Amino acid sequence: MAIFAGEMLVSVFLTLVVTAGLDTTLTASHVTALKEAVPTTRLATASSTVQLRTLQSAGAYRPQHLSALIPSLHIPEYGASLTSTIYLRGLGSRMENPVMGLYVDGIPVIDKNAYDFDWEAVRCATLLRGPQGTLYGRNAMGGVLALQTLSPASGEKPLFYMEFGSANTLRTGGSFTRGNHAFAASFRHTDGFFPNAAKGQNPCDPYDGFQAHWKWEKSKNNLALSNIFRLGLSQEGGFAYGLYENGTQYPVSYNDEGSYKRLSVLEGIRIKHSGAKYIVEGTASLQALADDMHMDQDYTAKDIFTLQQKQLSGAATAEILLRKANRTDSWQPTTGLFGFYRLNHLLAPVTFKREGIQTLILDNANKNIPDDIGYLDIPDQTMPVNSEFIIGSWNVALFHESVYRTGAWILTAGLRLDYEGARMDYDCLAQLHYRFDPTMQSAKPFEVPYRGTRNHGRVQLLPKISALYEASQTLKIYGTVARGYRSGGFNTQIFSDILQNQTMNAVMKDLGVYLDRPMTSVNAGHTEYDPEQAWNFEAGARLRRGQVKADAALYWLEVENQQLTTFPPGKSTGRMMTNAGHSRSLGAELEAQWNPGEWQLSAAYAYCDARFTRYNDGNNDYALKRIPYIPAHTLYAGAGYNWKIKEATLKLHASLRGTGPFYWNEDNTRREPFALRVDARIGLSFPRFELYLRGENLTDTRSNVFYFKSVGNEFFAAGKPLALYTGITFKL
Amino acid sequence: MKIKNLTILSVALATLFACNKPQDEPAFPNQADYKGTVTVEATSGTFDNEDIRVNFEASEDGTTATLTIYQIRFVPTMPVTIDVTIPNVQLSQNGSVLSCEQVVPLAMGGEFPRYTVTNLTGKREGNELSFSLNFGSTPTSFKGVLTVFEQD
Repeated sequence: MAIFAGEMLVSVFLTLVVTAGLDTTLTASHVTALKEAVPTTRLATASSTVQLRTLQSAGAYRPQHLSALIPSLHIPEYGASLTSTIYLRGLGSRMENPVMGLYVDGIPVIDKNAYDFDWEAVRCATLLRGPQGTLYGRNAMGGVLALQTLSPASGEKPLFYMEFGSANTLRTGGSFTRGNHAFAASFRHTDGFFPNAAKGQNPCDPYDGFQAHWKWEKSKNNLALSNIFRLGLSQEGGFAYGLYENGTQYPVSYNDEGSYKRLSVLEGIRIKHSGAKYIVEGTASLQALADDMHMDQDYTAKDIFTLQQKQLSGAATAEILLRKANRTDSWQPTTGLFGFYRLNHLLAPVTFKREGIQTLILDNANKNIPDDIGYLDIPDQTMPVNSEFIIGSWNVALFHESVYRTGAWILTAGLRLDYEGARMDYDCLAQLHYRFDPTMQSAKPFEVPYRGTRNHGRVQLLPKISALYEASQTLKIYGTVARGYRSGGFNTQIFSDILQNQTMNAVMKDLGVYLDRPMTSVNAGHTEYDPEQAWNFEAGARLRRGQVKADAALYWLEVENQQLTTFPPGKSTGRMMTNAGHSRSLGAELEAQWNPGEWQLSAAYAYCDARFTRYNDGNNDYALKRIPYIPAHTLYAGAGYNWKIKEATLKLHASLRGTGPFYWNEDNTRREPFALRVDARIGLSFPRFELYLRGENLTDTRSNVFYFKSVGNEFFAAGKPLALYTGITFKL
Repeated sequence: MKIKNLTILSVALATLFACNKPQDEPAFPNQADYKGTVTVEATSGTFDNEDIRVNFEASEDGTTATLTIYQIRFVPTMPVTIDVTIPNVQLSQNGSVLSCEQVVPLAMGGEFPRYTVTNLTGKREGNELSFSLNFGSTPTSFKGVLTVFEQD
């Protein structure tokens, strides 16, 4: 890590040196967030772009806030900042690798734990839906979210804002540009929205976070340079999960620590050289993330077991793109080479507490031992199961995409050859004292180590072919066939389960007692899961006429080796990703905007029918069942009106946002109905400042956003209740 | 397959060693594994534990031995099998005869008085080991053949 930190400092230093050297000669320039050779309006793929004004009126400053605002996108707000569960077009799972690639000013964010951050500097968010694997590679199976941040070239006036509201939520920040530099920073605090009954009704989800962003851009003649640096620091609670038992949903009530701390750093450089014939673009970044999560893993007021997950990871990425300089040529090729390396040191100790030792371990063991023989006891108050992982992952890819324009047609074909490898070294140790009554007079110290290495490498071919037809100046129709993939990985969360069972079997062996049915669980072979692949067949239409924008798309996604979160049977403590099934998603998306006069009208709707085509977990066949966690509908409808009163403008905006219904489990017995929420904002804007009042979930709709099982119990996470905020924005 | 070969080799070697000794001094290994059947006369009826391994280990002076019975079940419905060690078994007649009036066996990490061993008698004959005893009030017997041994 020291080496990594050193490289990062050198990188920042070099950037500053280059900055100093060029400062007097270069002029500012924009950097683009996307790699495509043509603008999004001419892309043969569904895309949505949300500008700053829309983000502000929708109160959107985190990825979750784009849910439903962009059709088919669902990012439920639960857990903590590391959660970032993304569902898009029927793809997605609640843990491990995301189905959406995230790019900040063209820099890929490698660690999903860093996806969720406050967008203090974001000025535009573009989501390309459907597999974008040819240009973006890994994890862009459902799409790519490209964030473009404040540019020094924008000439944007200094901005300062402060907002206060429900749960003592304070959000403040600002941004300004000076010369070739753009700066932004923000701070957010909230007391939290969900009281924890086991801790005197104190909210379990407080948050304090600070973000800082710096961007530098320069260009001279045929050279353009940019650098971005962002830093995020946060400390929060979370995991507002309430027990569901016998048809009753209980409030949050857990007794152990639930917290998450994170430091994330991203430093990226982009260089663009425009020659007479070719343009060469280079992108490189260094990324670091240090976080520490504590979780009461039984989520009850009982002393059962806790989990800590502490990681220190660093990643380096590099990409080089070669394009034609003449942008008017009918043939526009893009050829690229991409690579990254990530190293993650992860500590994930699970501590079984007194009641957990009894119920999860001893009861299981003793139920198989006849009373007349004796019983096993572990007199420890806590039993640690320590797990340490060093996980390296790397990727190298060569890709090409050609866009050919002939008449009213834009034809695109591309292919990516992608290799991803990974290696995990695990070193786990369970420690306890045990005693068998009546044969042992005193407890015997006992240790069970579990060490090893797993590694894998996979090659992927990611083709794409598409055609777009410009039927008129206003209407374009397109069709696309593309393949994407989501990386495989390692199930680190299942190790506590493995250790728990191995420990008991080892104790029994040490005692000379052999169960007819030894406690079995998954083994090291189950700790790996393979990549998931998807073929996308899509047709769409795009209309641009005056103030009217409308997009429609129909898609059919076939998913192979689908990554699913599964739970080992019984009172298991872990969960794991398995390549359990095959599925397909059929869907339709509609998006429209119309801005007549002072009105702003917008709507987004998506329907998704995502079902397993093949999934048998050994006990049940789930073919044709709906895939859990995927909303069948996402809906957004917003209306705004600006009413000018002399120098002031009264800005009114209201929106409806709905998602659902969901099925929470594979056999579709737990269902969440479609739920609508109403948001509204009223602002009084003057030339230099704006006062506003905004409300979220004004109807205080109670719905659930997450469901899971832990040690045989069921839990729900509820959506945020009604919240009101008032704020002021200064433009100096 | 390896185990089978090892067994055949062991038996052959044992026979060879036996042949090299004078006829009146049968030689028995000081440490050996036997495999055979343990018959338990439980209150619910007599039943056999098949393919049970018994380890025989003589003391340095050759006067006593320790017998370890692996993975035995005392009643057919018992959901577990256990290892039981019987210490201080008296050896006589060049180690061919085993006897023990009473001893507390070791099992599950310590002494297991509930199954105190009484009236143990047994013998080693050629490649065979047989003995009978009472585990508590349960009459039990073993008869098996040599599989692996170590000779001083």
